[in-house]
Amino acid sequence: MATMRYVGILCALLVCGCSTESSRGGSSGGTLAISTGGDPDVLIPNLLQTTTGAQIVDMVYDRLADIGDSLNVVNDRGFTPRLADRWTWAKDSMSIAFHINPNAKWHDGQPVRSNDVRFTIASTKDSTLGSPAASVITNIDSVTTPDSSTAVFWFHSRSPQQFYDAVYQLPIMPEHVWKDIAPAGWRGSEAAKHPIGSGPYRFVRWIPRAAVELVADTANYRGAPKLSRLVWSIAPDFNGALTRFLTGETDFFPQLRPDDLKEVAKHKDLRTRTFRSLSYQFLQFNLRNPNDRDRPHPIFGNRELRRALTMAVDRAALVRSVYDTLAQPALGPTLRVYPTTDPNLQQIPYDPARSRQILDSLGWRVTTRDSMRTRNDRPLRFTISVPGTSQVRVQYAVLLQEQFRRVGVNAEIEKLDFPVLVEKDRKRTIDATIGQWNTQPSPGAVLGSWGIAGSRSTNGNNYGTYENPVFDANIDSALASVDLAKRKAYFTRAYQTIIQDAPAIWLAEPRQIAGYHSRLDIETLRPDSWWIHIPEWSIPADKRIARDKVPSASPAASAPAQPAGQKTP
Amino acid sequence: MLRYIARRLAQAAIIVAIVATITFALIHLAPGDPFSAVLDNPNVSESVRETLRAQYGLDRPLPEQFVRYVGALSRGELGWSFSHDRPVSEVLGQALPNTLLLMGVALVGSFALGILIALIQVARRGTTTDHALNGITLLFIAMPDFWLALLALLSLAYWLPIFPVGGAVDPVTHDYLSAGGRIVDRLYHLALPAMTLILLASASVARYQRAALLDVLPSDYIRTARLKGLTERQILRRHALRNALLPTITLIGLSFPALLTGAFFIERIFAWPGMGYAVVYAIGTRDYPLVVGGVMIGSIMVTLGSLAADLLYAWADPRVRNI
Repeated sequence: MATMRYVGILCALLVCGCSTESSRGGSSGGTLAISTGGDPDVLIPNLLQTTTGAQIVDMVYDRLADIGDSLNVVNDRGFTPRLADRWTWAKDSMSIAFHINPNAKWHDGQPVRSNDVRFTIASTKDSTLGSPAASVITNIDSVTTPDSSTAVFWFHSRSPQQFYDAVYQLPIMPEHVWKDIAPAGWRGSEAAKHPIGSGPYRFVRWIPRAAVELVADTANYRGAPKLSRLVWSIAPDFNGALTRFLTGETDFFPQLRPDDLKEVAKHKDLRTRTFRSLSYQFLQFNLRNPNDRDRPHPIFGNRELRRALTMAVDRAALVRSVYDTLAQPALGPTLRVYPTTDPNLQQIPYDPARSRQILDSLGWRVTTRDSMRTRNDRPLRFTISVPGTSQVRVQYAVLLQEQFRRVGVNAEIEKLDFPVLVEKDRKRTIDATIGQWNTQPSPGAVLGSWGIAGSRSTNGNNYGTYENPVFDANIDSALASVDLAKRKAYFTRAYQTIIQDAPAIWLAEPRQIAGYHSRLDIETLRPDSWWIHIPEWSIPADKRIARDKVPSASPAASAPAQPAGQKTP
Repeated sequence: MLRYIARRLAQAAIIVAIVATITFALIHLAPGDPFSAVLDNPNVSESVRETLRAQYGLDRPLPEQFVRYVGALSRGELGWSFSHDRPVSEVLGQALPNTLLLMGVALVGSFALGILIALIQVARRGTTTDHALNGITLLFIAMPDFWLALLALLSLAYWLPIFPVGGAVDPVTHDYLSAGGRIVDRLYHLALPAMTLILLASASVARYQRAALLDVLPSDYIRTARLKGLTERQILRRHALRNALLPTITLIGLSFPALLTGAFFIERIFAWPGMGYAVVYAIGTRDYPLVVGGVMIGSIMVTLGSLAADLLYAWADPRVRNI
């Protein structure tokens, strides 16, 4: 009903028109309106950080090859051609030559050349640009271009993931658009506001805090996508985005929480689908003293105490309380979706009695009337910091507080503004925090968040400063192994090490829940990027509503961007 | 009069400068930095963070940042928005018309409705209608603006889906509508936020206006009008209201900051892309230049609004022109 309220008004007012262009084997037309709780940060492939930005960039730009639904990262197994229609490995595996599809064109009509590939990699590695992607392509030495249709990637060393590194991390950018703009001025340039790519959709406009609109590139070298138009409807926050979806103003919302399902079920036009995510949640302990990082934390510096706290937590019950069946207890700093993860990793068992014994043996004894533990008059008390805006993390904090209380540990909850929490994490001034890492298809990112380098770097992401060379060494060995069995064995050893060290309590591996309008025919929602198959989604002609019938050519369509003045902040 | 205006403008400039300085200090002292949210990514290296901070001058000491900011201001530049990657003036330039539209409609609507309510109350003073309207206006005065906004959103956009949940236009269809359709679409989106602000502001206006009307009703000229045989409605509209409007005109100046502050919350809740939405978002993302720029524009609007009310008062009441 909510959707229908627009139909009457729009049918009367719309300047109607339907597109009939050819597409990927199906009828063309329809608008997909996606709810999102915030603007993209930038629409420049090698600078973007936000998920919304990635969704749009992946529709506008293309990669050399796509990882495929198997998400394999070793060699090129499962990868499918995109801008590169074929590739050839050098005999010594130190280089890969990609052949660019001769039909591939930028949205301004220019052909895609090997120079564009070289430019994309070179600009990403340019330190003056400050690309977040630079750290994930360090194994790429350079790209050479023996001819206009061949780009050869040269690597520093042979690695099982070198193909993945070359094609997954970066969509290819047009050199002719960006080459005359100084890297420091990219973010503020006109080219950034009117991105030109070679992907299935063309950029139309970005109205900050309102919408981003794309239209189908009907002349795309891979065929036109089925949906004519994509619109990201930008709400101020999560709740605003959810409300727009529930009221029928948008068609798709990929971030439903378990609690939202009842509300969605009240709307007969709405459907839900769950899919695996690449994220895991944990209660992370700070192993160093927040007031003096050279000293261990007075509570969490002790491995046995951390293990005792882990034993006090019924992780399975927590997951059921928070997610019902929509998550599994996390195995460690990894995900079940990785083929290298052993789902039977040995966990520290839930055993409150044993937890009490260990705490007693460590000198933390129940002495106070409220059954809380102390040692040398110091209470066994710490603070769990959570972002106040995350309902799930707050819920977890409350449940953990209760489970710790049962073994005599006093955990206080501190709800913080998200930027404040990130600042405290980065300065290592937290006691404990409930965190979540959204990772990539490669399990290698674990080194940044739990490895020694991430701990010792001033702004590293290992906020808890956990350090164990055995863990790092096993991850390094795993990443260097081509053989899946060996790779899995090394990863298992690494995960087993960190699980037993208990620098965190591994909470949940949640599934994502997407809500969508019933008129949409959607395809597989991939764990790393649910949006990647949007070009194959469709809306049957007989189910279309008013917003599906707007003309495919936008009145506000932007002219192709020209290399612009070098604005700097 | 010109000297008076010049003096008030000079005072306004000093107020704006003080507000901008305090805001600059406070937002920089708040924990967090502009790159905390977007850089919460395990792959982002330390050197990238440092490069970004250096690009935006955030690696400099705070006093130096302030001096550079003041220098830019003296050249008429409000700085560079980190979160929008555009000049602050451009971001606020797009947001300001939306805020002015919402506030303008709310200002006119609230005074019209408030005066109408007061007239009804005075015409039926002492009756159940008067008491009921008294209670209702008191309720709206006591009601927090964000609460009423949420209630309106829930009841009229969600439970009874009459109005859209947010935005200034429908981002999916607006540009494809006919000219008339676009106007309807804009009004359709304006209705709920404007109605919320009007309900809140009109309650105060009604109470002020009722009191002012009751003050003038015992006057000699009203008694004379009655003796001349005018009806109560004619007396209220032609004689009492005109003289009782003066305190209400003062209220325009006073309600300007209240409306602007109220609009900040209302814009956020209804995703109305005005100054309030931009500034609240900027606070969350620690977009320092945008926060300071937004607060400065807001304080300029408030001081100018107050000046306009004073001038209006002087125009309406010849007795105060030469004070």
